[in-house]
Amino acid sequence: MFYVPKNAVYKTVSRRKFLELGGGGVASLGLGSLVVGLSTVISRRPVQAQSSLDAKWKQYEGSKLVFMSENTPPSFAIRDKIQEFYKLTGIEIEIITDGLPSVQQKVGIDLQSGNADFPISYVQDKPIGSPFADFYADLTSLIGDETLPQDPEGYGDGVWFENFLDACGRFYDRDRLIALPYDAAVACTFFRQDIYEQNTKDFEAEYGYRMEFNENSTWKNVYDFAEFLKRKRDAGADVPYGYAQHQGSFAWTTQLDVQRMFFAHGRWLDWEIDDKLGSKSPPPSNWGDEQSVFLMQKFKEQADVCHPDNLANGTLELNTVYQSGNIAMQVQYHEFAASIEDEKTSKAAGGRTAYAPCPKGEASWILNGGPAVNGTNCGVGGIGINGNASEDVQRAAYLFCVYATSGAIQFDVLTGLGGTPTRKSVMDMPGVADARKRPSSMPNALTFDAVYDIGIKDPNFVLGPKVPEANEYHTIMAAETQRCLSEEISAEEACNNIKSQIDNLH
Amino acid sequence: MTTRASSEGHPALSDQDWGFATVDQKPEIYNPQPSRMFYVYLAMPAVLLLAAITIYPFLWLIYMSFHKVGFGNASDVFVGVKNFARLFNDSKYLQGWGLLLKYSAICLSIQVVAGVSLAVILNNSRHEKILVTLFLMPMMVSPVVAGLLFYYLYNGTFGWYHWIFQSLGILDETSILGSADTALYGIILVDVWQWTPLITLITLAGLKRVPQDQLEANMVDGAGSISNFFHVSLPNIYPFLLIAVLLRFMDNFRFIDAILALTGGGPGNATRLLPVYLFDVSFKFFKLGRGGAIALTLLIVTIILGMILVKVLEDPARKKALSGDTDG
Repeated sequence: MFYVPKNAVYKTVSRRKFLELGGGGVASLGLGSLVVGLSTVISRRPVQAQSSLDAKWKQYEGSKLVFMSENTPPSFAIRDKIQEFYKLTGIEIEIITDGLPSVQQKVGIDLQSGNADFPISYVQDKPIGSPFADFYADLTSLIGDETLPQDPEGYGDGVWFENFLDACGRFYDRDRLIALPYDAAVACTFFRQDIYEQNTKDFEAEYGYRMEFNENSTWKNVYDFAEFLKRKRDAGADVPYGYAQHQGSFAWTTQLDVQRMFFAHGRWLDWEIDDKLGSKSPPPSNWGDEQSVFLMQKFKEQADVCHPDNLANGTLELNTVYQSGNIAMQVQYHEFAASIEDEKTSKAAGGRTAYAPCPKGEASWILNGGPAVNGTNCGVGGIGINGNASEDVQRAAYLFCVYATSGAIQFDVLTGLGGTPTRKSVMDMPGVADARKRPSSMPNALTFDAVYDIGIKDPNFVLGPKVPEANEYHTIMAAETQRCLSEEISAEEACNNIKSQIDNLH
Repeated sequence: MTTRASSEGHPALSDQDWGFATVDQKPEIYNPQPSRMFYVYLAMPAVLLLAAITIYPFLWLIYMSFHKVGFGNASDVFVGVKNFARLFNDSKYLQGWGLLLKYSAICLSIQVVAGVSLAVILNNSRHEKILVTLFLMPMMVSPVVAGLLFYYLYNGTFGWYHWIFQSLGILDETSILGSADTALYGIILVDVWQWTPLITLITLAGLKRVPQDQLEANMVDGAGSISNFFHVSLPNIYPFLLIAVLLRFMDNFRFIDAILALTGGGPGNATRLLPVYLFDVSFKFFKLGRGGAIALTLLIVTIILGMILVKVLEDPARKKALSGDTDG
């Protein structure tokens, strides 16, 4: 086939031999990459309780583990510092990051199929913790193990912010702990104080009170502000819309958006279950009751005065709308403050934005009794260990969990990429207290008063619903709510539809 | 050198004179009639591989659709036809079918008309090769990337397409994906952008095979280019078009990537086509039994509709020939 010069010296390779060599090579490469590239590798050096701390950190030197995480600041920060962990332990960690829906699917398949391709994974409380809690390893035995290095602060409820350990670590059983708090997204109110100040005179003339927002401001006030600004804008004034909701393609964020408002009014819950632990067999839901129908109607009325692209905006897009100066207020997760305060990308930066707790319930909107609270919810992301992994893999993975949730790392993430600490001790670290006031070198700290002093504390904080079918519940709820906002169905139909579908889930 | 064809004993060859020379002498190792098992052995590796990658999962799908699939320590529970029965009361399943058929019909109609028109314009045009390459570029983008690309183009805050739509008065401040009335059309536009070139490509291949003498004869008879297209070109490209339509039809029935990137099925259930709902049930809710039942019904209906499509669109000339009508 090819030109071969006369008298050329070459070695003949028969076609059969060529195929054998090629096939063998491809097979070896494939298997090799599977073994070395994707799988966990473990090697162990035995240690005793009396061994040095260094020996305990290094007992799994030469091992390799995979950490599947959401693409959040702590994961990026830890990826940057992964050499430090390698020096400390000799363990190689491959960090794979992805959007939360993908992480949820990949981790879910891995855990439920009995595999341990991801020995360490991100346990976002409701979407991952609620359905897959039984497949994670119980960390309580590892926490008490003297042959493993432990965080000097410990892991009790008191060292984390209120409710955080419950949020991501405990599901259905108080004695089992499946994850340690790694990062947190807690809702609070971001509003444009410059726009409020410019418009307060006109607003007061019409509504009889000042256009201000603080911890006592209610959902009725939010509606008034949004309605006022929309009317003004429709009349040709150069003002942004007053508010926008979290809808978009990821159902969980819509569920959280509805939940904040509903919980604020008499601490309304979807199911009468322990909000902190959840339930595997919840009773019939509260959807369809008088309170839920009334509040769904109010949620719809609020959507009508929101930014017109309300139904297309998920959490990230909503933040972009706020950054671009198209809305004057959003209830957003406190990890977004850093992006809001970035003068290069945000029109809301430079002291224009103020932060406050989530809006309070409006007393006149509470039909079933109960208090008006600053209904606040969260996504507390834990770090957990795959229960299918071998004992040694679990122990090696635990070393990473201890490292990744330490106060020092959380402080680095806060100062570097704009993280959201979960350990209380970070508040006492240098510069953090000062950063809670402007000018701040750690923009997320500007939200700490609203979030850590008010939002996450009882009676304002709502953790659940923790039910095994949480993801189907979120999808049903979001779809029916959006149908109501699109005027496809009424508020009452939406609530009844949710009830009829979710009462059969468990 | 003898000129007689030699085919003694070989079933594939007859004794007729093929018109070219053959060698009389047979090689020493020559098995004139290999046993049937020889062919079976030859086909075995391919058949086994095919079985492993298609038949086994298909059987497993059937198994799952009749079970409540358990995870971890939980074992599978046989539930009979419960998973199928439940589908008839599932509004999202029924709505998913409606949306899928609507989406598929609109996509196919636009793609066939636009794809064939483009092919006719491109055929023998001055810069045909460059233009074909340019038109094929969307096809080379993976569907999820296409979805993400349009997600940004449609964005109500900074999307370029949104700005164009708004400037033309087609949309107000609500983006195309922000309304239940328009979201499906936003998705259709992505599919049309990406896959019309496939129809163009296949049609173009067909147009190259249209006999020039027929076209010229028709023109001599006084026909214009439109008449030429409908009376000569179209009948000739019919089989090609059928393949293109069939491919796109089946693709539409498993279309999911761009929808997940663009809307996730919303707003409400406005873009929750059946394949999206199947994905939700199987990989978001991990109800593999119910997912198996949905997948099986989707597969069966796709096959049936595919067969109907072939029947309906079958080449009229071939159909006539098969029915024995040879009068002309």
